[in-house]
Amino acid sequence: MKEATQPKTIWGTIAELPNNVWKSIFRNPLPSSERGRSATMFTNFFLHLHPVRVHRHTLKATYTLGLGLISLFLFLLLALSGILLLFYYVPSTAQAYDRMLDLRGTVAFGTVLRNMHRWSAHGMVAVVFLHMCRVFFTGAYKKPREFNWVVGVILLLLTLFGSFTGYLLPWDQLAFWAITVGAEIAAYAPILGSEVQFLLLGDYSVGQEALLRFYVLHVVVLPLLITLFVAIHFWRIRKDGGLARPEQPDTVVETPMTLTGGEPRGAFGLMGFVRKPFTKVGNVPGNTVYSWPDLLTAEIFVLVLTIAAILVISISFDAPLEEPVNVMHPPNPAKAPWYFLGLQEMVSYSAFWGGVGIPTLEVLLLLMIPYLDRRPGGEGIWFSKQRLLANTLFMTFVVINIILIIIGTFFRGPNWALVSPF
Amino acid sequence: MSKKGLEELSEQGQSSRRRFLFWLSSALLAGSGLISAVSNLVFMRPRATYGQPSRFAIGRPAEFPVGTRISMNVEKVCVVREEAGLAAISIKCTHLGCTVGVSETGFACPCHGSRFDQDGNVIGGPAPQALPWYKLTLAPNGDLEVDKSVTIEQGTYFGV
Repeated sequence: MKEATQPKTIWGTIAELPNNVWKSIFRNPLPSSERGRSATMFTNFFLHLHPVRVHRHTLKATYTLGLGLISLFLFLLLALSGILLLFYYVPSTAQAYDRMLDLRGTVAFGTVLRNMHRWSAHGMVAVVFLHMCRVFFTGAYKKPREFNWVVGVILLLLTLFGSFTGYLLPWDQLAFWAITVGAEIAAYAPILGSEVQFLLLGDYSVGQEALLRFYVLHVVVLPLLITLFVAIHFWRIRKDGGLARPEQPDTVVETPMTLTGGEPRGAFGLMGFVRKPFTKVGNVPGNTVYSWPDLLTAEIFVLVLTIAAILVISISFDAPLEEPVNVMHPPNPAKAPWYFLGLQEMVSYSAFWGGVGIPTLEVLLLLMIPYLDRRPGGEGIWFSKQRLLANTLFMTFVVINIILIIIGTFFRGPNWALVSPF
Repeated sequence: MSKKGLEELSEQGQSSRRRFLFWLSSALLAGSGLISAVSNLVFMRPRATYGQPSRFAIGRPAEFPVGTRISMNVEKVCVVREEAGLAAISIKCTHLGCTVGVSETGFACPCHGSRFDQDGNVIGGPAPQALPWYKLTLAPNGDLEVDKSVTIEQGTYFGV
């Protein structure tokens, strides 16, 4: 190897310094060979959660719709914009609302940053839910991916709780009455209900203690938990053999190592050693492509699209900010954000069943889906005929929730009376 | 006993001792984990709160002439004066804690549409219970006092 040559003078060392530093950080140059593509994916910290090769089916935009990736990118956007907003926010009932106004008036890019944070949050709730629908309708939760579905449901709940704790922080009317109602719903839980309510609020009524608690949950506890579960979610995708795809015999393409001159082609040996695709040195599973550049470009494309969409929305529409808290008068009607209006609609029939009973049953059912539906078949195909019953049931669940949200959003007026939006 | 038999015996003794130590240490670890989890919950439970006191003065009885219905929104109490006397009715909705407003027929909740009559009985919506009545007393200085920690039977007016 030539690299071992030692520079003779101090000047030589200095001249080589930038190059040496660079090479110590990036072990591989931009890949030009197949081996290079494998090595780059394998040795870079940020890339190594990808497989070296990825199945063509995984890259189909019409299969995944990129929903999982969009969820991740929205979460990253939320973390970034959230950290910036933290520099100007004070979790005090006396100051929080004024700080919101300051963001509008005295902070450069304050409005757009808050818009990005709010719209990304709304987007994340929607996209995480759609991602769950995608995974269901393509049967991607089946063995061996059962537990990753469970992790996904936990992530959905964390996302909802994150957005709930988030919209309390401006301490406007929405915040105050949402936290009042939310904590009262918790109190309907059997046995421990009022204790949970007291722990959440830190007091017997909504005030400073509650704001501080939700603030800590929102900026520390929930992001940490989400990060942890996202890591597990991704790790298990790899260990479960990549994304679900239709059962078909894995053809193995023989690509014998060319020992005559140059680097061996197609040699990535242990680098691809996960559940599937299996790889032996010199063999490449059929229907797979190198992650560099195919998977990477797809990801960057989705990233740019996500950021662009959020930017356009944030520049065009301002995030809602209601009147400052007025303990005397709840707004009439007092409505939660759209994604909780289905829940609010159910709660308006019965606090226990709408707020505790049915949501708990729904979550339990969601968690148990992969353990109840054990029949193989239909994996990796949208609306497979083999899964007609399961898909119909889940579609009913989705449609009912959407209808409840639409009723809560458009058909409820003052005093939660039925009104016509037309 | 042969040498081999002795070795087997001592190995058996070792393995049962190891099993015992394994279960003992596991139980101790789990126990200390449980204790620290409970301590954290206890830590999260404040011993003093800063909210509204449950007993407070609302003014002289003479300030409330017959026919008065005044909602005190911070205290979440509506002071009612009828011929029979005074009453303090909660205006915290029994459904999910919103503040109910005074309506023509009694009280109405803006959050989920519960409706109550003049005495606080549920006449519509999801509220599971009537609005509670609180105990009224006359303090030595002549002020009326509401005690929200004591609910009294509906229709029990405080005579003045």
